[in-house]
Amino acid sequence: MKSRMIAPLAVVALTASLAACSTGDDALTPADADALADEEVTLHVAIDEGLEEEAVEAFETRAAEFTEEHPNITVEAQEYTWTGTTFAADLAGGTLPTVFTVPFTDGRGLIERQQIADISALVAELPYAGQFNETVAAAGQSADGAQWAVPVAAYGQGIHYNRALFAEAGLDPDAPPTTWEEVREAADTISEETGQTGLGMMTSSNTGGWILTTLVYAMGGRAEAVEGDEVTATIDTPEYQEALEYLHAMRWEDDSMGDEFLYDWATSHADFGAGKIGMMISGGGDYGNLITQNAMNPDDYGVTVLPLEGDDAAVLGGGTLAAVDAKATPAEQAAAVEWIDFYYMGKLTTQEGAVADAEALTAQDQPVGAPILPVFDQETYDQSQEWIADLINVPLEQFAPYSDRIYDQPLAAEPPAATQDLYATLDPVVQAVLTDESADIDTLLADAEQQVQTLIDRG
Amino acid sequence: MSGPTTGRATGQMIDRGIVSDADLRRPGVRRGVRAVHAGLLVALVVVGLGPILWLAKAAITPTQDTLRAPIEVFPNGTDWANLAVAWTRFDIDLHFFNTLWLALGSWAVQLLIAVTGGYVLSVLRPVYARVLSALVLSTLFVPAVVLLVPLYLTVLDVPVANVSLINTFWAVWLPAGANAFNVLLVARFFDGLPREVFEAAKVDGAGPFRLGWSIVLPMSRPIIGVVSVFAFITAWKDFLWPLLVLRDPAVQPLSVRLPALQDYVELDVLLAALAISTVIPIAIFLVFQRLFLSGAGLSGAVKG
Amino acid sequence: MADTTVSLAVRSAPPAPSQAPPGGPRGGRVAAWIRRGGLSTLVIALPMLLCFGLFSWFPIARAVVMSFQFTNLVTAPEFVGLENFTYVLSDPLLPVAVRNTFYFAVLALLFGYPIPLLAAVAMSEVRRARGLFAALAYLPVVVPPVVAVLLWKTFYSGADTGVFNTIAGWFGAGPFPWLQHPDWAMPSLVLEATWAAAGGTVIIYLAALTSVPPELYDAAEVDGAGIWRKIWHVTLPQLRPVLFITLILQIIGTSQVFTEPYLFTGGGPANSTTTILLMIYNYAFGGRGDYGAATALSLMLAVVLAILSAIYFRTTRRWSTT
Repeated sequence: MKSRMIAPLAVVALTASLAACSTGDDALTPADADALADEEVTLHVAIDEGLEEEAVEAFETRAAEFTEEHPNITVEAQEYTWTGTTFAADLAGGTLPTVFTVPFTDGRGLIERQQIADISALVAELPYAGQFNETVAAAGQSADGAQWAVPVAAYGQGIHYNRALFAEAGLDPDAPPTTWEEVREAADTISEETGQTGLGMMTSSNTGGWILTTLVYAMGGRAEAVEGDEVTATIDTPEYQEALEYLHAMRWEDDSMGDEFLYDWATSHADFGAGKIGMMISGGGDYGNLITQNAMNPDDYGVTVLPLEGDDAAVLGGGTLAAVDAKATPAEQAAAVEWIDFYYMGKLTTQEGAVADAEALTAQDQPVGAPILPVFDQETYDQSQEWIADLINVPLEQFAPYSDRIYDQPLAAEPPAATQDLYATLDPVVQAVLTDESADIDTLLADAEQQVQTLIDRG
Repeated sequence: MSGPTTGRATGQMIDRGIVSDADLRRPGVRRGVRAVHAGLLVALVVVGLGPILWLAKAAITPTQDTLRAPIEVFPNGTDWANLAVAWTRFDIDLHFFNTLWLALGSWAVQLLIAVTGGYVLSVLRPVYARVLSALVLSTLFVPAVVLLVPLYLTVLDVPVANVSLINTFWAVWLPAGANAFNVLLVARFFDGLPREVFEAAKVDGAGPFRLGWSIVLPMSRPIIGVVSVFAFITAWKDFLWPLLVLRDPAVQPLSVRLPALQDYVELDVLLAALAISTVIPIAIFLVFQRLFLSGAGLSGAVKG
Repeated sequence: MADTTVSLAVRSAPPAPSQAPPGGPRGGRVAAWIRRGGLSTLVIALPMLLCFGLFSWFPIARAVVMSFQFTNLVTAPEFVGLENFTYVLSDPLLPVAVRNTFYFAVLALLFGYPIPLLAAVAMSEVRRARGLFAALAYLPVVVPPVVAVLLWKTFYSGADTGVFNTIAGWFGAGPFPWLQHPDWAMPSLVLEATWAAAGGTVIIYLAALTSVPPELYDAAEVDGAGIWRKIWHVTLPQLRPVLFITLILQIIGTSQVFTEPYLFTGGGPANSTTTILLMIYNYAFGGRGDYGAATALSLMLAVVLAILSAIYFRTTRRWSTT
């Protein structure tokens, strides 16, 4: 695809220093790591942006516990939240924390381009290394199956809803809609009765394509077809058509989607937390964000599964990987894996870690025990929930419509090739349908399919 | 800056304009002119001052009132706590001082480069001055946008020094200095100074340093004022470049931090933060009004 | 002295070539060269040389090289010939972005050109408290641009109870979608940009108006000209240079617009506010890390802008010498 030419020496010298940040060829071995175990090291770890003070304190409690165990490591928290539109700049600028998180969608590409450190040898030493759910583990593996990044959370898409708005609109908060037709009716009722947005739709910073594809999966479609090495974009399809027409009808016939059509992840969650949105499709694990960053009243929160309709309908699933900066020194890499094991995995794998994490959170009135999808098997997950059963402070019964059914729903991974590009290309399509009544869905989809194919091919 | 420069731009005292005194003696004209002026004043107050007053009001109004009845004035009382929350939770003071610090540093670097550069090109005129001057001039034709990516990569790994300036103020200060416009502006000014003075000083044995420090610099006050206003205002308004190179919230100026905050804060607190961020530049403007307005007038003659 | 400042500032032509460089090395004698101040001169030139070298000349050269390379900062860059250019030129978003950028520029001229001119002409006739008028007009310019955008984002709420929709409601109009419709978004952006910048333009015109020689008006009156004829035959012709300059500057400025679309709409809805600069940003920093495509597009934009700048400089030089 790209013609290779021998670059003049000067140019190589000029740019070589930029390229010399990959450590892919000399991965750290456990023996090396042991030798480094006592080295003094400062570790920059990611902490969510915009946390309330209490949440920061809970984090600091955990960090203090960690440094007690590892006196040679100094932990410094650095504000970081993955955002599609700024991540590349952070990555290029070397301004990421040493340990950071990325969505499943980005794992493969980062590993292929060696933009994160190869910590697979250290990860393999972790006691639970072999127990990951296979599809989940695959998101953080290189082509040869080495675990470069650690899956720390998984989610299946769901419908978050506001119980207060449901009640105000005369709907039963305990019986959320179970078909797409019912979702549409509920949205209509909410917007009629309460004046708030019935169904809030994210459309910006790649989220438009993400949620649209969620709808498509739930209606039986897929975004890409893989045959051997050939990846074909399958966007100009009846399912995409159906999903967009569904949105079009809600927007223009019912007018039940409010008056903000440029939501991204953060702004939609802010408005949902503020009680301005009746229903919103997003990842099932968003409760913590809504409570700790967006001050939502926990009593108002509800969540249910997506209706699955049509053959092969599935829940779009995703998750979070913990990864280590490619430029991290061996000592930092070793410390980073310790941190991942302690902070992200400890609460899932050990009773001690689970309880300590839950205690730190409850002490600061932070949510504990919101149901998510297991990164291991169901049993390990149930076990971890049991350990902290006494400390759970989230209203579990409000999660029931989701947690009772999500584990039985077929889960499907996100489109494998150029995922974020695919989502980004579909953003304007969703925006067009929601902001322009006469948007030509056929042309939009045909164009988008072609563009996505170009991006898949450009690599 | 000295008086006449500012007076020229704001035009406090002019002999006459389009309408003559004779015109004004005709009642129809007088009434017409008055009406135009009254209308203009009302329009300026509504358009210029209105949004800022609204922001001041909204800063101390609860979110729900701002959303439901944005034009009403305090339908349900005020909420002064917004200001305190905005100030404490978002470290407005930190980001304000970052902004100020960035602007001051950029100003200092730009001034140093502009004055030394202008001095070399216009007064000292070494043999290589023509080439240098052409090289500097040529960068004027290269818009900032072309430099966005390569300059970013340069700041990531500065040639020779091999350091990354990312997340340091230097990443903003140093590139700000490479401003051909300032250099040429100062050089033009020096061109207009009497060369006999320099020659006389040289005869008296003054080297380039003494000549610059004791003769040229004292004569450059007016142009330093002009460059300062440009430099400071540009640095204060900068958004894209600091967004790229200052990723760590602790060093971000208000312009970069405020958009990041809008995702996490309630509307009333955000508006309070916006109001606080606006008060200071407005205060500075009111104090240095003449300087600003004359600078803006000049900028029309030379720059955008 | 001060008046020299103004007239000098107007002239931005390159310095006149010096006939006899006084500090140059002659005969290659280093010692003599130092004695004559050659070394000191070099030391004084050093800050400028370093700063321009590192942060202007080097990046410009690098931009040219990079536009022929494929690079993602991780793997070694490859030379790919014109592939970046053909890729960018075949990107279906490019014509959209070019059209949007033009549209922004045209709207910015429609909104931001005549209104400040009228305001300045009216203001120039104010005899008392002109400072108040000027300060009021300039006030929005002082508001930090990011603050202005975030504030106007609130004004532009698409809800019936949004600030602008409430005001429109008083006149029985609206509610309007403002940023939430492909046809509305761009004018909304330009309206805010005009609000934020018009004060500066007013002050520029005002400065130009006050320098119109009064004798011209006197002469026109002798010929029996009324107020309107004076505006048409004296004021406007006298303003022509500055009008032309602001026109060119506005086109150069608006073709690099970034803050408004980035913060207001992120380029949406449906790419209706995606500008060229936003496209460059997205190539490089928006996820793909495609620095080659970004620099290729930057260079193409630069060529267009350089032509405009050249016209600008030729024109200002001609006027300043006449």
